[in-house]
Order: sequence, then C-alpha cells, then structure tokens
Amino acid sequence: MELLLLLIIIPLLTAFLIPLIDIINKKARRVLVLAASLAEFFTFLFLVINNWDDIADGTIFIIYKMGGWFPPLGIVLSMDMLSFYFSLLITISVMFLILYSIGYIGHHEGKYYVLIFLMWAAMQGIVLTGDIFNFYVFVELLLITSAALIGFRRNKKGTIASIKYMFYGVIGGLFIFIGIILLYSNLGTLNYAEISANFTTLSFNTQGIISILFLMGLFIKLGIFPFHFWVARAQSTAPSPISALLSGVVEKIYIYAFLRLFWMVFNFNYLQTTGLDKAIIFIAITSSIIGHILALQESDLKRMLAYSTIGHLGIIVAVLTVNTKLAIIAGLLHVLSHLLMKISLFTTTGYLLQFAPSHQIKDSRGVAQQNMFVFAGFIIAAAGMMGLPPMLGFFSKLYIVKSFLEKSYYLSALLTIVGSITALIYYARYIIYGFKKINLNSPQEFRLILSVLYRERLVTDIALMFVGAVIITGLIYKTFFGPLESVANLLHNPSIYIDFILGG
Amino acid sequence: MINHIVFIFIFLLGFYAILVKKSLIKMVIGLNIMEGAIFYWFIAITDRGGIIPIVQSTQVAFNLNDPIPQALILTGIVIGASTSAFLLTLIIELNKFTDSTNPDQLGGMIED
Repeated sequence: MELLLLLIIIPLLTAFLIPLIDIINKKARRVLVLAASLAEFFTFLFLVINNWDDIADGTIFIIYKMGGWFPPLGIVLSMDMLSFYFSLLITISVMFLILYSIGYIGHHEGKYYVLIFLMWAAMQGIVLTGDIFNFYVFVELLLITSAALIGFRRNKKGTIASIKYMFYGVIGGLFIFIGIILLYSNLGTLNYAEISANFTTLSFNTQGIISILFLMGLFIKLGIFPFHFWVARAQSTAPSPISALLSGVVEKIYIYAFLRLFWMVFNFNYLQTTGLDKAIIFIAITSSIIGHILALQESDLKRMLAYSTIGHLGIIVAVLTVNTKLAIIAGLLHVLSHLLMKISLFTTTGYLLQFAPSHQIKDSRGVAQQNMFVFAGFIIAAAGMMGLPPMLGFFSKLYIVKSFLEKSYYLSALLTIVGSITALIYYARYIIYGFKKINLNSPQEFRLILSVLYRERLVTDIALMFVGAVIITGLIYKTFFGPLESVANLLHNPSIYIDFILGG
Repeated sequence: MINHIVFIFIFLLGFYAILVKKSLIKMVIGLNIMEGAIFYWFIAITDRGGIIPIVQSTQVAFNLNDPIPQALILTGIVIGASTSAFLLTLIIELNKFTDSTNPDQLGGMIED
C-alpha cells in the first residue's frame, strides 16, 4: 500500500519545503511544520483504521513494492507487527516532541525543523524498509541529522560532542557496511527475506563474522559499555527536546534493528549454538550496571539522565537476548516504558532547567516552589524509572526479572534490581535538592533567570501529557500483552515473514 | 586472497590514524582511508572478470559483471563524502572557540 511510502515521504518532503517556504514567508513555516506533523499522524491513523482487524489479530502484513519490482529484485517497504509497534512509537512521540520544540525553540529556527523532519523520515525508513542497504542509508541519514542537532547550540561543548558522536557513529556504520558487503558477495541479495531464507547455507565462520560485525556496529550506535563514551556528552549538550528524542526514540530504533536483524534476518540459533548470546547478556548487563554507577557519581542533571539511559538499554538488550516469549514481551514493554519515562524526564527537565542557574544538581534548589506541577511530573517519571508500582516501569521491570529467573540468570535478575535501587538514590538526590526552600528575595539567593522558552504553556502541557501517559499505560499494562505476544511469535517464526515477502 | 590482505592492511592503516593521530583533521582522513579500503574491497571481490554492463539487446549477455556493487559503492561514496564534509564543517566551527584540534585537549575521545 502507498501509505507506507507516504510515512517516509511526508517528513522528507517537508524537510526540503521548509527552506523554500522560508524564502517566501517566514510565518508560513509555522503552518507547514504543524500541518506536516499532523499529516504524518493522520496518515498513520488512516493506516491503523484501514487495517484495524489485522492489527487486533496481530497478523498485519502490508507490503509496498517500489516501482512495481517484485521483492528479491526490487526494494520493498513492509510493515508487520514488529514494524507497526515501533512505527507507532515513532509517529506519536516525534509528533509531540515537534510540538514541544515549537514551544521550546520557537518558530525562528528554520534549520531545526529541517533536521528534525529528516530524522523523522530516517527513523520511519529504518523501521519500514525491507532492504538491508536501504537500512544502512537511513542509519547514516539518522546519524548526520542527529549529530547536527546535537551541535545545534553552536557552542564549544556542543560542537565537541557532535564531533565525537560523528566519529563513533561513522565507525559503527562502517562495521555494518562491511557486514552488508559480506552478505551481498556471498548471497547475491540485499532483501531481508531472501537473506533470511538462505543465511544458514553460509559457512559457519562467515555467519560468525557477519554476526559479530553487525553486533559491533549496533553496539557502538546503542552506546553499550565498551563504546559508551559518546552518550553522556551527546545527550547532555543537545537541546532538551533533542535529548529526549535521542535517548527515548533513536536508541529504540537501534533496538528495533537488533531485533529485526538478529531474529528475522540472521539465524538466532547461530548465536545460541556458539554461546554468543551468553556473551551479549554479559556485556549488556555489565553495561547496565556501569551506566547506573556512572549516573550515581554524576553531578550534572542531564548527564545523569544520559547515563541512566545506558543502564536501561543494557537491560533491554540483555532481556531480549534471553529469547523466551516472556523475555521478548518484557523487553518490548520496557522499550515502551523507557521511551515514555525518558521523554517525560527530559521534557520536564528542559522546563525546570530554565529556572536553575546551571545544569548542576546542587543548583536546582528551589525549583519545587516555583513550578510545582512540572516538578511533580518529574518525580512521577523518576518513580517510574526506579520501578515503583502504579507506573509502567514497575510492571516492565517485574517481567524482566521474572524472565531472567525463568531461565536461571540469577545474577542478571539481581543486577536489574540493584540498578533500580541505584536509580532510587540518584533521583532522590535531585528531588531532595529541588525541595529545598530558598528565599527568592534575599540577595544571596537572587538569580538572574532568562527564560528562553517561546511558549511556556505548550512546553509544560506536553511534558505533563507524557507524564500522564506514563501513569495511564501503567494502569492498562495488560492490554499490551496481546499485541506484544504476536510480535514475539513473529520473532520466533521468521518463516512467516519470508513467506509473506517472497510469496506476495 | 590478496584482496583480503590489502583490504585489511589499508583498513587498519585508517584505524591506526583514528586511534593514534592527535589531530581531528588527520582522524577524518583516517575515516576516509577506511572507507576507501571498503570500496576497493567490495569492487575487487565481486569482480568476475566479465564485460561491463549496460549490454545492448543485440549482444549476447553472458559473463557479465554484476552492476549492483558499483551502484552500492556510488551511494557509499556519497555517504562518505557527506559525513566527511559535515565533520570538517564541525571542525571549522570548533575553530571559533579554540585553536586546538588535538582531541586530548578537547576532552578526549574515550573520556566521557
């Protein structure tokens, strides 16, 4: 169906239209940005309504053949339950983050919207494509645009963070490129389904080299422990909506790539027979605990949140690699809960930091008495991160621990709980500082605060809306089990996907 | 076999530049060397010693070289050029704030 193409084309076209509209009329850009985000959202909504029965059953399969070329030869866009889940998360969260940016950055920054729409197109492309070279092209597009947004403030720290992010990202991309070359020169195809059908015919060593190259590339881009050096800098110097986007959404795209490539394109049995899956769990859990420890010793609020991202991504990668049905459901549930919680933490932080003289935790005294609602939102989202009951974070962590115990990974289960307790300590530290009273009239406590927010009301509303989503999804967490179970089924039976692509 | 050896040698040469050189510009050059090694290798290992497509319809099409690697590498070159261009732009931007391009003086590449 053409709707899949529209999901990529609309943001891509908008990105190129914005500079043109700028020449004619600067005010028209506001309308364009809003209209394009709504158009993308309604395209997705239309797709959902059109295929509602299939989505409810968990059997949605949509295919679009580019230029009418049939699958093994041409490029296909396809949407199955896995792509649908991630595409849903991208569409909704990026739309609201663009609205947040309108309040945060204002309308006067044309380049910002060009880059964020390109990022949107790249993310939809990664999720929807069925061709491994297309995947590489979209990954590099995502890398360049997000690097440009990290350095968007054009100060020294931002530029250095951006350069560092680029070096790590490009090297990660090169590993993926070598993997693609090995696949093409051995199998003569770039189509996911055809690679998947023939992957086991490759020799044992070739399978190993390809798996390790893709793992290296994805782990560099995810910021898993030995390659985590770019994460804190990049996510702390970017403007807050971009930090939310990087930590909440972009990292989840690479989780999607990990699932798609290692479960449905490459043979997951290979990882299991060679014991490589144990190694992945070990690295990911180590990364998780290191992330939490680094967050504990950090005195800068946004860097602390960035380190906490490393901690949670480690858990997600580890639990997905356990590869039971429960583990995959738990991992995907934690993808959703971490996305909502991290976006609400960064969006509320973006507002609260306007009232603090610096990003340092000790400078946050008195934020509670100035902005009670937003600070309460921050506390709720942080409580979700710690894994306290009514929030989705509790349920996803509960199932993660359960699935570790089921396969007797006792140490991993223990370290997940230890990580949550560490999170309790480092969030509590900030919250206690926030509650400290200050006398705003006294000369010692006087601080010059220049709020750069364009529309304060929009910023707080959207931040609180994400916080609301954290609570609501926690209350209705059982409804996610049906769809996520069909995703797990699909991941365990890649032949469904192969038959669908090559047979259609 | 010689292709693989040459590829690994050139690739590691680029990687060495990134790890050891103390100048951001030289590190970008290192990245370019790594990319160049990959492009060379892809062309070399998919070469079948045949004739070059596009073939006219009157010719008998046998023993053709695969045209897809060339298309992929053209895309790869475009991506490589744009990443290097963007990195160099960032380095020029950095020059406004500091005279140094030594990564160690800018906080280091493996410190966070």
